[in-house]
Amino acid sequence: MEEKLLKILKELRPEVDFTRETRLIDEDILDSFDIIALVGELNDTFDIQIGPEHLLPENFNTLSCILDLVRKLQAEG
Amino acid sequence: MPVATFSFLLFISATLLVYFTVPRRSQWIVLLVASYVFYASAGVKQLLFLVLTTIISFSAGFLLAGVKNKNKKKFILASALVLDFGLLVFLKYYNFAASGINALLAGTGFALPVFKLLLPLGISFYIFQSAGYVIDVYRGKYPPERNIARFALFVSFFPQIIQGPISRYDRLAPQLSASHEPDFDRLKYGIQLMLWGYLKKIIIADRAAVLVNTVFADYMNYPGSIAALAVLFYCIQIYCDFSGGIDIIRGIAQMMGIDMVENFRRPYFATSLADFWRRWHISLGGWMRDYLFFPLSLSRPFYRLGKRTRRLFPGKLGKIIPTSLASFIVFFVIGIWHGASFKYMAFGLYNGNIISFSIIAAPYFTAFLEKIRIDPQGLPWRIVQIISTNFIVFIGRYFTRGPSLMAALRMLKRTVFSFNMQALRDGTFRTLGLSGFDLFLIVAGCFIIFLVGFYQEAGVEVRKALERKNWLVQWALVMAALAVLVFFGIYREGYIASEFIYQQY
Repeated sequence: MEEKLLKILKELRPEVDFTRETRLIDEDILDSFDIIALVGELNDTFDIQIGPEHLLPENFNTLSCILDLVRKLQAEG
Repeated sequence: MPVATFSFLLFISATLLVYFTVPRRSQWIVLLVASYVFYASAGVKQLLFLVLTTIISFSAGFLLAGVKNKNKKKFILASALVLDFGLLVFLKYYNFAASGINALLAGTGFALPVFKLLLPLGISFYIFQSAGYVIDVYRGKYPPERNIARFALFVSFFPQIIQGPISRYDRLAPQLSASHEPDFDRLKYGIQLMLWGYLKKIIIADRAAVLVNTVFADYMNYPGSIAALAVLFYCIQIYCDFSGGIDIIRGIAQMMGIDMVENFRRPYFATSLADFWRRWHISLGGWMRDYLFFPLSLSRPFYRLGKRTRRLFPGKLGKIIPTSLASFIVFFVIGIWHGASFKYMAFGLYNGNIISFSIIAAPYFTAFLEKIRIDPQGLPWRIVQIISTNFIVFIGRYFTRGPSLMAALRMLKRTVFSFNMQALRDGTFRTLGLSGFDLFLIVAGCFIIFLVGFYQEAGVEVRKALERKNWLVQWALVMAALAVLVFFGIYREGYIASEFIYQQY
């Protein structure tokens, strides 16, 4: 799952090192257009439904936060 | 009680004195009383709307917590939003709509009544803030407030109620409830920030306003170059007025131990129009992103639209179309939020169009730059971007300041087709209400703001850097700022400075 996610992120923003960044939202590395594009890909790839209520900095600041969100939503089914 | 008056300074001093002498657990009550006294001083009738919004939003939060059923929750949320925004929409747009309908039906004998509606002080700011709270509780971001008096303080907190920043409940409310000891550094920082704000407002903005008001009141009698000069001065005025006001508000809060969100991050250093709006009125932009742009982009109709556009336009273009449409809608809403007028609609469309177009064109443009071997990250290209962004913003200001859409278009036409450079040199300037010394103060003030902004952009914390200087230098700076304010401030009608532009929204 991590590899798939990294591939999506790399495609979205090739210049960002997602394995190192810890403040993707707080430092505006990902802007709101990136977030919407990312959510679209995540929904399609992992068959989940990310809603506006999930779009919080703590869910998108790091690679592992995004992974946690995807896992949580998959578990909720 | 306008913020730039002595009575306001007295009010702040008295509030601070009581705030730091009462038992710490009662500090929030002092703030609540001060907020309501401040608001009532603008007009007791206006309190009705503030109290109504407080009750509606508090009740909605309270009800949402007790309900599990999804549909019932949706119903509560929708009712609260319709009531809150209904109030705003009615007060702001009823007369505009009624006059439009009456004009259409002229001669039929049917006419809707047109009321004398006065927009209560800061109404959109506290309605946006309360609506954000209700949506967050609905989304389960935090539990609702159980104490209506504490919630009333969150909605009415007095420095911010005038013109924002639009705060979030989870960030502001805990600070309002907490105990705060008087802290020398915080008091000092707060006073410094207030002084900086007052300098921007009273020395620069109110001075630039003299020229702006003179030209716009009689715009048909000035050539294009003077119209352009007035719009340039308006760009300076609105930045210094709004950001200066926010500095004053944040400075007051800081003295009380409360940190409010930043509302400006050097917008005139922006490298694109989208970047400009991320740096200008940040709290409104953030509100629009979280409560309009995100829900819209993730809604079912947009999802379906996205599927269709991806099929029709494979590749990046198909993915970007729904997002740019959503951002277009957001800018249109921001445009009409400024007021019921065609000029604001045009302003929204202007910004929405440019931003939507640039989202779609960005990948092609980057490829083009690579082809002609220009480094998009390099300094020369950044300077070009900053200048062109400021130019786009400058053109947009014709619409916001022009008395009407037609007037704005006429002024633009004059700027393009009858510029008349000579008018800048033939003495016309001296008839616009400003002396050479006024011009010097405005230019010097802008230069200082630019210099501070330049260092901040480079990552220097200017206030901390000043702190490392000798105490004599620090005191001299504060004294110089005070002297400039006292001797060169623009005071009207016997020491009453003009009000803020944004408090009318």
